Amino acid sequence: MMNNLQRIRPPVFPVEKVVIPEAKSFRLNNGVPVYLIEAGTEDIMRLEFIFKAGQVKEYLPLLASTCNMMLSEGSQNYSSEELNRSLDYYGVFLNQTAEKDSAGIVLFFLNKHIEKVLELSREILFRPVFPEAELNSLMKKRLHWHMVNREKVQNLAIDQFFESLFGKNHPYGYQIREQDFENITPSLLSDFHTKYYTPENMAVIISGKIHNKTAELLNSYIGNIGSNENNNEASVNFINGEKLKKVHINKSGTVQNAIRIGSATINKKHPDYPGLKILDSILGGYFGSRLMKNIREEKGYTYSISSSISSLDIAGYKVISTEVGQKNYQKAIDEIYSEIMLLQNVPVKKEEMAVVRNYMSGEMVRMFDGPFALAESFRSVWEFGLDNSYYYRLAEKIKTIDPDEIIELARTYYNIDDLYEITVGSE
Amino acid sequence: MINYKRFSLENGLRVLVHEDKSTPLIAMNILYDVGSRDENPAMTGLAHLFEHLMFGGSLNIPDYDTPLQLVGGENNAFTNNDITNYYLTIPSENIETGFWLESDRMLELDFSQKNLDTQRNVVIEEFNQRYLNQPYGDAILKLRPLAYKVHPYRWPTIGMDMAHIKNTDLEQVKSFFFSHYAPNNAILALTGNIGYDLAFQLSRKWFGPIEKRTIQSRNLHAEPEQTEERILTIERDVPSTALYKVWHIGPRNGKDFYTLDLITDLLAGGESGRLYTKLVRGKKLFSEINAYLTADIDPGLIIVQGKLMKGVDIQQADESVNEVINGLQSENEIKDEMEKVKNKFESSTVFSNTSILNKAANLSFFELLGEPGLINNEVDAYRNVSHGMVIEALERYFNPTNCSTINYISTRKKK
Repeated sequence: MMNNLQRIRPPVFPVEKVVIPEAKSFRLNNGVPVYLIEAGTEDIMRLEFIFKAGQVKEYLPLLASTCNMMLSEGSQNYSSEELNRSLDYYGVFLNQTAEKDSAGIVLFFLNKHIEKVLELSREILFRPVFPEAELNSLMKKRLHWHMVNREKVQNLAIDQFFESLFGKNHPYGYQIREQDFENITPSLLSDFHTKYYTPENMAVIISGKIHNKTAELLNSYIGNIGSNENNNEASVNFINGEKLKKVHINKSGTVQNAIRIGSATINKKHPDYPGLKILDSILGGYFGSRLMKNIREEKGYTYSISSSISSLDIAGYKVISTEVGQKNYQKAIDEIYSEIMLLQNVPVKKEEMAVVRNYMSGEMVRMFDGPFALAESFRSVWEFGLDNSYYYRLAEKIKTIDPDEIIELARTYYNIDDLYEITVGSE
Repeated sequence: MINYKRFSLENGLRVLVHEDKSTPLIAMNILYDVGSRDENPAMTGLAHLFEHLMFGGSLNIPDYDTPLQLVGGENNAFTNNDITNYYLTIPSENIETGFWLESDRMLELDFSQKNLDTQRNVVIEEFNQRYLNQPYGDAILKLRPLAYKVHPYRWPTIGMDMAHIKNTDLEQVKSFFFSHYAPNNAILALTGNIGYDLAFQLSRKWFGPIEKRTIQSRNLHAEPEQTEERILTIERDVPSTALYKVWHIGPRNGKDFYTLDLITDLLAGGESGRLYTKLVRGKKLFSEINAYLTADIDPGLIIVQGKLMKGVDIQQADESVNEVINGLQSENEIKDEMEKVKNKFESSTVFSNTSILNKAANLSFFELLGEPGLINNEVDAYRNVSHGMVIEALERYFNPTNCSTINYISTRKKK
């Protein structure tokens, strides 16, 4: 065979403009907003119930997460075993989540089982009984998991990172202690549940193959749930970071040290956020980022390094994360700061801008590909009171941002004196 | 039903194509029929190190990642005992860039000393991060040589000793490439927004000119039958004691693979699995417990691993695991539970196949097994398992003489 092909690079076609299907919305009889996103080829569904019932609402550590985990541990009509067996029997995947701001459940299932799924969801969400025996057993298990997690340098580092950023007293920030596992009781859970798992406090996001009767079914199972109280107690809406910017936690016997560098910052609601997202990508947000190229691909100090920026209700945060062997860990920290300073002082070259623009445009195609990605993308703007116009602004910014704007953003948001530096490992 | 077409090029490259117009993307998966089982025991970890080197530039392209990012693509790869698998997703209008990149690195790598030096360090950091710097991280490193005495599955994919990685030189890397990376040792799958004709035309254009190579023949010694129980006790400063038990099973395309898969689902599929309900919820002996198959091509392992609650005797925990496994022989409640795991398997297959990347990876792997049709037939194969087949498999494999156990004892003092 002759190898006569000229291996010339194929042309680069601009990634098509993103088109995002709009969610249809309506309200159940009890006022609960529902969002429907039609997508995909299979007769399946992703059904999410989301409540403003995250950690930020808790007045005792572990309350929000335990309440959420206990939802499937027994209801008025089902024992915990019956609930779990039934979900498995119908091939349902149930995820329970309690995050900093919100909590809820997500179910993935074949559409033919929708009625059963709605019936079980109603039990899980609105009729839990928080049995004491299950609670005790859960808390013992959680204490075990906690102790194992606290052996890992990356967990020690991120827990300290949040404490430093958001303060020892804020639910975004405080760290869990072993004694916290003893304080949760069924009545505390029941009280938290009554307050926050209510129709006034929730929304439903459905994606996949939507049938004619989907809305009607949802109404018949969930639309008549009422609530006795109205609880719109404001959360603690300010944060107070710790004064100390550098914290080292000594852990002997480790072969790698964990590093977390970052700070609280703006969230999605702020007009600079799309630009900051692009800056973050250049710094450490993808495989071709500067941190990855320099610290892994050029120097081989680590298996992975990345930066990310996230939004919470009352703030955002950005964080650079890596694990590095003792020998190189100070060098890695120095390189991280020098990459930040480069971005503050030297304009990003045209070629690199083109790579990050096109990579991020491709990423946006992936964010809206298929029913699951669509639902997650919808949720992550809806939670902030935003809509798809956020994504169109981001797409536009990806095309038009210039190197001067990058410098400006790096100077405004990456002031080195404002950054916290958390390290964990042997000294 | 997943429709696909397949063809082979003259140089032996096998290509599978599945068109899915509901997505603007295309997934491209290239599987090379080489894994850690193909390594020299004195130089383990090479297949995985090689995966890292594959991103360091090829004959005509100095850097793999940048051109891909420039067309909106994203990629990654993994290596296991049996295969090395590379995959990317890309907006469909730029698929030719994927062909250009993947064919060039099949043609020839840029064997650079600098890249080798860097990636050796990266792999050693990966080893430290995954196995040494995690509680219980070394258990799997101890488990393999306990269960396998002869077969290359006795070492982990990352390598049995990081000295092997440190000592790898460029000549070894080159020779590994030319004896394993070749069109006649690879399978290409394309799924998503691509038609058969375009896939065929681009495959011929870019991969067609790459010549066949002589592939190092595979003469693996079969693992001799285990004849007595093996127990290893390790003491570590970890929060709680853990138990690991493994039994040898048959090969991936053996007749009882799906029976064994179903057994692990009865034991540990979801919150309603028997090990969880009986030993975590019921007797409260474990804080967590899991069971799974290694799903290796050559005879593999079934693994049960769990962490004990404080104060539980490891002997009692071990016996309780055996008791739960033996309980599967009884008719009691089994019919409903079998129906349950079959429904769940069906559902998880449907969900897995909503992703073009999963479809591409599955098509490639099933083609390697010689059964591409499994992409549509797996659910039936699993559904056909009867309780009689479960009993037969339990009797064949779950004998103490076929079992290796690690008692991973916590030395931590109680507060």
